[in-house]
Amino acid sequence: MKSYGTASSGRPLGVMAMLCKDVEAVVEQEGLAPLPAAVSAHLSECRECRNFLADLTSIVDVARKMPSEIEPPERIWISLRAQLESEGIIKEPVLAPPFEPGVERASWWRGFGDLFRSRALATTTVGVLIAAAAVLQITNDNRVIEPSSPQPSVVALNDFSATRATLNDQEPVARGMILASTSPVDASLRDNLQTVDDFIADCERRVKEEPQDDLAREYLANAYQQKAELLSTMMDRGGSVN
Amino acid sequence: MVNNPSDAEDLMQEAFLQLFRKIGTFRGESAFSTWLHRMTVNVVLMRLRKKSLPVASLEETTEPDEETGGPRKDIGAPDLRLSGAVDRVNLERSVGKLPPGYRTVFVLHDVQGYEHNEIADIMGCSVGNSKSQLHKARTRLRELLQEEVREQARQVRHAAKAQTAHDD
Repeated sequence: MKSYGTASSGRPLGVMAMLCKDVEAVVEQEGLAPLPAAVSAHLSECRECRNFLADLTSIVDVARKMPSEIEPPERIWISLRAQLESEGIIKEPVLAPPFEPGVERASWWRGFGDLFRSRALATTTVGVLIAAAAVLQITNDNRVIEPSSPQPSVVALNDFSATRATLNDQEPVARGMILASTSPVDASLRDNLQTVDDFIADCERRVKEEPQDDLAREYLANAYQQKAELLSTMMDRGGSVN
Repeated sequence: MVNNPSDAEDLMQEAFLQLFRKIGTFRGESAFSTWLHRMTVNVVLMRLRKKSLPVASLEETTEPDEETGGPRKDIGAPDLRLSGAVDRVNLERSVGKLPPGYRTVFVLHDVQGYEHNEIADIMGCSVGNSKSQLHKARTRLRELLQEEVREQARQVRHAAKAQTAHDD
């Protein structure tokens, strides 16, 4: 390394003593701390650079104490919300209507129905049309109105009595046809049938409690229809194997 | 950033409006906070440019002394140390006088504590550029604060002279 002799103080200048502009370049890239030894050496000899860095350090020290976040006044949020609503970006939540018999049930059923529908969709590739007999039976169910004014719940369930009876008669037959099968498809069918049966039980309980609940009756009718589909598929599969 | 509470409130609202309008464009390529900061900086800079505030070239530098290459020194003026002269009030005032680009980097780095790689992301520049602008901002602040110190000293001398003349 080159030596440039000694400074007026008698100290050796050392190797390629840094110029002030070099010090500034280092500070620009490396920040104020920690300083390389060469910079420190220059600072020990240069009052101007020493003062320069001290001033920058003072500025940074004060800046770091300035609040980095300031809570805006409430009116800002109010104004922002108003603007967002005027642009249609946000909307006022739709208030749920006051409780009325049937309204609460609708939301309950909707949630349950969504659950059931997702499971129904997860069932197999059932695309088999429902057995014609089952369909006709469901659609031709007649209301049975007892002259002696029975409980409304009994009347409601009687609407489906024939359908229920038919399906209940066919279920053990269908189950038996794929009972021994270890096929994943058949296992899925059995699981789905159980799910449908559970749902039918809930629907029947609901119809019994709230005979005037049209949505419950609709769900029950759909559930019977889906059960008919499943039984039909199970029978087809069992029949093809045999 | 804008050195004006009223403008700051307006711009804050505008930034959040932009956020809601453009939330669908957020692709998750950067942190959400970075994305929001970038949007905010752009909103502020656009407003400052519309106001035609003095936007110094980002290449503005402290002109180095040609002989020593040292920090620029006002000719004829003593090299003022700022020791004890920097407080929050005069620093905030001086920050408000910075060009927008310098001001942004200084606030993000020295006030809010962002690293240079984060600032580069927010401002869409390189890390080197962020470092350079920060250094220039600090240097310019030093000059502004020195001017303020000189001005205060002049006022004190003027007041003293006036008092002396009055006493005579």
